[in-house]
Amino acid sequence: MKFDRRLFTSFDWTLFSVVLGLVIIGIVNIYSAGFSMHEIKQNPQYIKQIQWVIVGLAAMVVAFCIDYRIIARYAYVIYGISLLLLIAVFLYGTTTNGSQRWIILWGFSFQPSELMKLTVIIALAKFFDDYNLTGGYELRDLCVPFLIMLAPFLLIIKQPDLGTALILAIIFVSMVIFVGIRFKSFLIACCTGLLLAPLSWFFLKEYQKERILTVFNPERDPLGTGYHIIQSIIAVGSGGIFGKGYLKGTQTQLQFLPEQHTDFVFSVFAEEWGFLGGFLLVFMFLMLILWGFKIALHSRDLLGTLIAYGITMLIFWKVFINIGMVLGILPVVGIPLPFLSYGGSAIVVLMMGIGILMNVSMRRFILQS
Amino acid sequence: MKIRDRLNGHDASEYRPKMKILFAIVAVCLSILIVRLWYLQVIRGDELKQRSENNSIRLRKIVPSRGYIMDRNGLVLVENQPAFNIVYVPNRAKDIHGILKKMEHLYAENSLSFPSDPFLNKSIKPFVPIKLEKNISREKLALVETNAIDLPGISIEVVPVRKYSGDKMMSQIIGYIGEISQKELEKNETGDYSSGDFIGKQGIERYLDPYLRGKNGAERVEVNALGRTLKTVGAIEPTPGHNIVLTIDYALQKTAWDAIDGKAGSVVVMDPRDGSILVMASSPSFDSNLFLGGISFADWERLASDPLYPMENRAISGQYPPGSTYKPIIAAAALQEGIITPDTTFFCDGTFSFGNRTFRCWQKHGHGNVNLHRAIVESCDVYFYNVGKMLGVDKLHEYARGFGLGEQTGVDLPREKSGLVPSKQWKMKRFGNAWQPGETISISIGQGYNLVTPLQLLNAYCALANGGTLYRPIIIRRIDTPDGKPYKVFNPEKRGKIPVSQKNIDILNYALWGVVNEGGGTGYALRRAEADVCGKTGTSQVVGLPSDEKARRLKQMALRYKDHALFVCFAPYKNPEIAVAVVMENAGGGGAAAAPVARKIIDAYFNAKTPVKKRQPLMADHTAGENRG
Repeated sequence: MKFDRRLFTSFDWTLFSVVLGLVIIGIVNIYSAGFSMHEIKQNPQYIKQIQWVIVGLAAMVVAFCIDYRIIARYAYVIYGISLLLLIAVFLYGTTTNGSQRWIILWGFSFQPSELMKLTVIIALAKFFDDYNLTGGYELRDLCVPFLIMLAPFLLIIKQPDLGTALILAIIFVSMVIFVGIRFKSFLIACCTGLLLAPLSWFFLKEYQKERILTVFNPERDPLGTGYHIIQSIIAVGSGGIFGKGYLKGTQTQLQFLPEQHTDFVFSVFAEEWGFLGGFLLVFMFLMLILWGFKIALHSRDLLGTLIAYGITMLIFWKVFINIGMVLGILPVVGIPLPFLSYGGSAIVVLMMGIGILMNVSMRRFILQS
Repeated sequence: MKIRDRLNGHDASEYRPKMKILFAIVAVCLSILIVRLWYLQVIRGDELKQRSENNSIRLRKIVPSRGYIMDRNGLVLVENQPAFNIVYVPNRAKDIHGILKKMEHLYAENSLSFPSDPFLNKSIKPFVPIKLEKNISREKLALVETNAIDLPGISIEVVPVRKYSGDKMMSQIIGYIGEISQKELEKNETGDYSSGDFIGKQGIERYLDPYLRGKNGAERVEVNALGRTLKTVGAIEPTPGHNIVLTIDYALQKTAWDAIDGKAGSVVVMDPRDGSILVMASSPSFDSNLFLGGISFADWERLASDPLYPMENRAISGQYPPGSTYKPIIAAAALQEGIITPDTTFFCDGTFSFGNRTFRCWQKHGHGNVNLHRAIVESCDVYFYNVGKMLGVDKLHEYARGFGLGEQTGVDLPREKSGLVPSKQWKMKRFGNAWQPGETISISIGQGYNLVTPLQLLNAYCALANGGTLYRPIIIRRIDTPDGKPYKVFNPEKRGKIPVSQKNIDILNYALWGVVNEGGGTGYALRRAEADVCGKTGTSQVVGLPSDEKARRLKQMALRYKDHALFVCFAPYKNPEIAVAVVMENAGGGGAAAAPVARKIIDAYFNAKTPVKKRQPLMADHTAGENRG
């Protein structure tokens, strides 16, 4: 494939700036989250996050240089490799905080379940592009995509990582709704889901049940499960309209917030930047999602539409569930906030996803000719 | 349904309406977040800001000083002394490993060793001080203090620790304290204890922990943005623990300990007039000071695996067949039941046949014709075989229980055993078969199933000494408030009367006097110039009956099959004010192995008394000894 000048002229600067903005906010915010620890830690998290963002930028470049149609051609192969990595985690993975999520690859600890989200989107897009049916899908048509989602879903839930598994399931549902499902099939699926939901309660671990119950009443256990939520709500609320100021969030700096680098970064941000900051951040995510939908809509082929839509929905659901959990309206399920939460695998995979999104965005002009 | 051509047939506008709906859903969801954010930050903003400010005030525990423990004369047995810990506060210094290296170097220069903790790295949390070294020596303290400038983040923490004087001589009664365990925290229903607290683990420290510990204080400290303490906002001062005054007499305790140190056994000394315990020593023992700041694993292993159980308080947890010390109780039962009179005689030829078994007297050649007095003085087994046979097991049981045996004495110490007084009913329940008449013969000389603790035995003899009153032994005289006012006084507590008439008690006490002071008596070791001691020897068989050849051979083989030596005595004969029980494990006969220990204590007691000393007897005098002569 010869170099095309239009790759540059049609580069999606809007998308790039929004994402870069979010990533920079993320680093600045992680600096604050770990500020009180900087004197102690030899290798502070914000430094590591910068390193990961650089790796992520490289991944992004790679992802938008290779034509997404070529990537999709190998969709099942990539999917297979990701699945093998997940099995490897199951067999050889390292355990942190009671769940087995990481494997060591070339000296890096890496979380295959993060990669899996992207891989599943591409594999589903490939499938629905290959078997594009007019008039909606029936349940039996959806068996294969369901299995594509189910295999990693089960492996991830076994780790246990309820949040990531949940995201996979939601992505699957989002994509199925997008490509269209027959009304009758939809009803049957809904009813089955409703019937199975109470059953799944018995498969949840005790702490997961606790977390769900705690959403309804955080004071249930103010020093245990409810502690995260109560401290998070205090942090967010105490920010007021204008916030306490950068590096001045007392909740953050005095380490009252648990997981403040990862799942609860939004409370750090909201405490220090207030409602204005929080609103701006949510608005930026809204712009990002709107832009993603625009790319999906303007793609020249269904494959591009599906991939762009899938990645956009992935970002949306993560944002919604994470912030919802930080604000105490959704259960604490352990889903990081895209671009802002500390975490190597997640940031690299997300930026790779953005690369693919740009990929689709640029090639609409190339494919036009 | 047909598969459409992929590229050319794609018309995105087909998805436009669906996309609009989806985007609307997304926008609504994100709006919910914004509304919630508005609600928290604007509507509840002030309230939550208030809460966050309260959050920056942390509660810090202030440990109270634990109560002292004193002996009956006010001599301090357990007190607190300051201990110095080296603490590292993680936010002050940049690099803990550099500091540790520096300290190691500093120590090495002065040829001291620094304990390295491999788990240190994992436990680092900001603002939470880490103990690097506990209870450091004065030498190290001086070293760290003088080099403080070079050791940022390192500070010295002063904490009170227990100081147990008297080494090992009373560790089992005093006990020790340790950090509260997870299990103890879970059991704590009153909520008085919190993690990191010290709690009594054994002995008095454990039994009176609620009094000794005092009440935690708390201070509210404001921490700044870096978590450093700015000022104390308010404090609830801790309440110091109560002081405990024991009935123990330190000097006498020391005499007793010196007499049994190095052997296995125990000594209990009581005042028969009020049931107060003057001495309770158990050997081998351990040093309570070992437990300060957590016992080392090696020390614990050594203590826990010692076959002689140094942690056990033998005076209340050791259970032994009483042997011949049981005979006065059987005699009391027989006299009281009218089965014998003091003049009833039996002929002893050294053996006693019962059914197809032959029981022996310890005196192989027999004692000849003996009456009750001689039977007790010379400890004739055959006499008591006869008496026991006539009484029957249930009468024996009734009287033994009447002397307080077979149940806890109720002394204020944890882990007291209740001993065992067998009965027909008990045997049926325990073994599921009927009582054998032959077993009655064994128990009538204190062997067989009978088990007593030294304290129980002593308490029974005290009842004989004081004219029939059975006391609850007391070891705690008073609990004082921290400023020295009596808070709770433990008065003598009568559990009841032994079911024996004064006349019969006098007969028995005279016999016990004879044991020590008459020719042929087994307790000759206590024969003092004053001729004032009454006592009884005992030998408790560890293995079976002597008629059992196998057991006899075993006995010669191993020390642990050797008999236990027992001796119980009280003095003076008229108006006894001290009673002593000695049990020496695997030491042989009571007269030879246990009585000399009792002698030392009796001598020490009266020697200390000779210079003008007024002891107010708590009991009215009773007259005994009309049979003397």
